[in-house]
Amino acid sequence: MRDVSKILSLFRSELVTVNVGPRSFAEVLEKQGYEAVQVDWKPAAGGDKHMQELLEYLGGWE
Amino acid sequence: MPIFTRIQKDRYIDSLETLNQTAVLNDQPGIESGYVGMATNVFKEVIEEIGLGTPEIQSCTEADYVIVAEAESEEAFEKAVNELTAGSASSEETEEKKYYSSIRSAVIEHPRANLCQIAVPGEYALEEVKKALNAGLHCCVFSNNVPLDQEREMKELAREKGLLCMGPDCGVANINGAALVLSSINNRGPFGIIGASGTGIQHVAAILHEAGTGVSQTIGTGGNDLKEPVGGITMLMGIDALEADPETKFIILISRKPADSVLQKLLARIRTMKKPRVVFFMGCDKETIEETGAVWADNLDNCALRALELIGNDYSLGDLEELKETAKEAVKGMAPEQKYVRAAYTGGTYLDEGMRTMWEAAGGIWSNAPLSPEWKLADGEASKGHTAIDYGEEEFTLGRPHPAIDAGIRRPAILKEAADPETAVIVLDFILTPPGHMDPCGFVVPDIKKAQEIAKERGGKIAFVASVLGTTADWQDIRKQEEELREAGVYVCRTNYRAALLASEIIRLRKEAA
Repeated sequence: MRDVSKILSLFRSELVTVNVGPRSFAEVLEKQGYEAVQVDWKPAAGGDKHMQELLEYLGGWE
Repeated sequence: MPIFTRIQKDRYIDSLETLNQTAVLNDQPGIESGYVGMATNVFKEVIEEIGLGTPEIQSCTEADYVIVAEAESEEAFEKAVNELTAGSASSEETEEKKYYSSIRSAVIEHPRANLCQIAVPGEYALEEVKKALNAGLHCCVFSNNVPLDQEREMKELAREKGLLCMGPDCGVANINGAALVLSSINNRGPFGIIGASGTGIQHVAAILHEAGTGVSQTIGTGGNDLKEPVGGITMLMGIDALEADPETKFIILISRKPADSVLQKLLARIRTMKKPRVVFFMGCDKETIEETGAVWADNLDNCALRALELIGNDYSLGDLEELKETAKEAVKGMAPEQKYVRAAYTGGTYLDEGMRTMWEAAGGIWSNAPLSPEWKLADGEASKGHTAIDYGEEEFTLGRPHPAIDAGIRRPAILKEAADPETAVIVLDFILTPPGHMDPCGFVVPDIKKAQEIAKERGGKIAFVASVLGTTADWQDIRKQEEELREAGVYVCRTNYRAALLASEIIRLRKEAA
């Protein structure tokens, strides 16, 4: 069997969610009583895939 | 009426927010119809289709935010736009909450973060999942349309790090009591569920809740986990985790039939499991499953009931004979030409279950996602004969959220099907979830009543048959939702399977009467 200690540790811990996507998904977690941290995601370089690859190559895209 | 547009360059607004804004825009005085969104190709297509396209919008990029409307006057449009921007400005001012620009910066300030919920367009999912896993977070990935090789890559990375990667295309997961993405809110209890179908997990968990027990954890793998290229990585890790989890006493596995090679791997693992388990792999025969020491289930209802038997709970979903009596009552007052079933589902699992259940009585069902290819309806093709439509399919959801959130996607179906004098029974499913519509059943009641009036004017009556998936803990409250439908004359069944059985009985009676 694989090492599942990290998953068991998740099950035993208080859930703290980083939400990447619609804010409402974070809001409904908070309304349920769970901590949620919102990342306001948007396509890097205005959705231009070529530009993203270039930025990534240059180390400028996180 | 003239068309007006407002474009803001390089302003990103997520799809749920644009959906809200579209609803607000359409409520403004002097606005005939309007739409708000990021100027993606899909958005541009939708805008063209509904007659709001302009050359200005066509020249926008995906990074541009667009408000477009057919309005009485420029003044009315300006007022409406101000209403939208005023709404978002005030909410920004009152919120003290901090938003982060990246997973890394969020985790630095919140070192206790342990899970990342990701809902970005599929083409960007792999990058975000890698960032989350590298930051030590387990992942729940709602994004869909992720290529299988990318799904494999993210799941292999998760496995290497000992982290859980639920999804892509994971619609349901309950972790530590929290309802993630589109799950229902459930009681906690001794059952751990791992499923490749979100609806399947939600369905079984809801029955367990109703029967007075509940779930320890539910792990959604995403619909592609048990396909050959992905190899069941998440389900196998999930089994290992739930086997080791002291809170989980029983394990339930749910999926469509896995790919052969994956099935063999899974069966081998199930054989060595220590905890009592129930397995529902659609289309897998009894011997194959029982040979592993697991309890076999042949549908979602039975999957829940078999699980309940493990704890000595003899919960019943009701007498099937009663459905026959209900059918007899339902066909009273129908006009001679009424003979067809028209089903409008919000997702694939219930569509499939519904079609399989009604197939024999119907003698074939047309669909946009049919059971066999010769019954395929082309995109946009009107219903004919017996028809069941999945409103969760791409042709309806492109550029819009899932129908469980955006109840408007499926809404036109009711009056469209009721307009056909040969429609005898309309089948609907409703799904409750925290980010979903707060009153999905009440939302369609006016249309149901209008449909009945239309049928009555023709000298007939349409039987509406429905089921609601959710729990008493859901904010929409399943009891309240069911009651709203009953008050509108809808036959509300305990489950989707039972709704399909009732519809089958109705079309059988209509055949006999002909």
